[in-house]
Amino acid sequence: MMSSEVIDILFNPWVRTLLGLCLIGVVFGGAMLVVWFERKLSGDIQFRLGPKYVGPFGIFQLVADAIKLMTKEDLIPSKADRLLFVSAPIVLMGSVFMMLVAIPFGAVFVNGVEYPIVGTEMDISILYIEAVSSISIIGAFMYAYSSNNKYSLLGAFRNFARMIGYEVPLGITIVSVAVMVGSLNIIEIAQAQSPIWFIFLQPLGFIVFFIALMADMGRLPFDQNESEEELVAGWITEYTGMRFGLGFFAEYIHLILGSMLVVLLFLGGWNLPSFLTNVTILGFFLPTLFYLLKVALVILTIIMLRWAVPRFRIDQVVDLSWKRLLPLSLLNLGWAIMLGIYLGM
Amino acid sequence: MSVIIDSSSIINSYIPVAVFLVVSLLMPPATMAMVKLVSPRSKSPNKYTTYECGSDPLGDARIQFNVEYYLYAIAFVLFDIEVLFLYPWAMIYQGTSVDMVTAIVEMLIFIFVLLFGYAYLWKKGALKWMN
Repeated sequence: MMSSEVIDILFNPWVRTLLGLCLIGVVFGGAMLVVWFERKLSGDIQFRLGPKYVGPFGIFQLVADAIKLMTKEDLIPSKADRLLFVSAPIVLMGSVFMMLVAIPFGAVFVNGVEYPIVGTEMDISILYIEAVSSISIIGAFMYAYSSNNKYSLLGAFRNFARMIGYEVPLGITIVSVAVMVGSLNIIEIAQAQSPIWFIFLQPLGFIVFFIALMADMGRLPFDQNESEEELVAGWITEYTGMRFGLGFFAEYIHLILGSMLVVLLFLGGWNLPSFLTNVTILGFFLPTLFYLLKVALVILTIIMLRWAVPRFRIDQVVDLSWKRLLPLSLLNLGWAIMLGIYLGM
Repeated sequence: MSVIIDSSSIINSYIPVAVFLVVSLLMPPATMAMVKLVSPRSKSPNKYTTYECGSDPLGDARIQFNVEYYLYAIAFVLFDIEVLFLYPWAMIYQGTSVDMVTAIVEMLIFIFVLLFGYAYLWKKGALKWMN
């Protein structure tokens, strides 16, 4: 039994803040796990071994890497713009952290009542998440522009052209989900998928959203900012040690949070049939487990796509967003409105 | 479960955001301060040169870039504002404050005007890379 005082404490904003700060720790651990998993899986796909010496299956490789990054000398090139160079990781990390605070990490059911695990609940959270996640492009551009390196700047300009192209279809597909729910609160959007997931109602929207999100996160078919075969390391070429590590981690945290967005908007969030969630012990951990399992599957798909699809040229990327995804996302918006009226949602 | 947010607790829902903003401002400098403590330091002028495949860097990196990027940016601003207008509309069109048919027809007119602009851009070749 949960008394009202306990609920009051749970909804206290400062307690919520503490919860959110714990979630930062969780997501850092998750990012390390994802990096290890990606390296191991890439090894398997290419018939290599991948990391294997540090710990069982090399699972502590990333701990070793983090220690190495910490003990590297902090280098700022003499031609670089010092202020921008130092503040670029702050902007990138800031964008990721601000996203993190509004994204739920699951939900706990106590006596059939749902308590989402989230730093803050706001009524416009999906708009807020979309807004702060687009700040990351400014961070990436600051990384490149401050470096004063030709490779970095080439990568950053391509990154910029790509990101602005995919921002529009991404926004329109989010609107078409919000139209069916009638709310911009990401928790209400997740709850609205209780009987049917939105992937079945808007398959086209899911495809557009997934591709646009991959581009937004800079995952491999769309990593024109890095393209290591031609641009060394693209936007992050001049960065070493922990400053590089911060940008690297921000990218992987963005990957995790983006996968969470896919699950929350299209793959049904943490919804389970109520006969399961009404059982006290099951309701306590099963929804979160189910949700995180789906997130892991989305991450797995994204990692495997990296080796299935070669990197696109910049003109192909721009064409894909402006000439294919934008009309398709508008089509999906029309479909969502009609379906919403038909279903009376 | 929208019991948590009423109009008086909007400020409450942004307190964590403010704290996170402060944390994200402090976290990278704090990490770098820790790095300063544990990392070795050695000075050599060649270490601070810009990387350009081993040769001395030629000129400045901040040169003029292709005008294509700029054209796409302008098109982006137009369509992003369209998306921004869609958000509030998506919230109110089912509500009681407006007639639903009117709201949908109005938004369709808005989208079609933009689609004409989009078709014009496409036909003019503004969406073609490096023509």
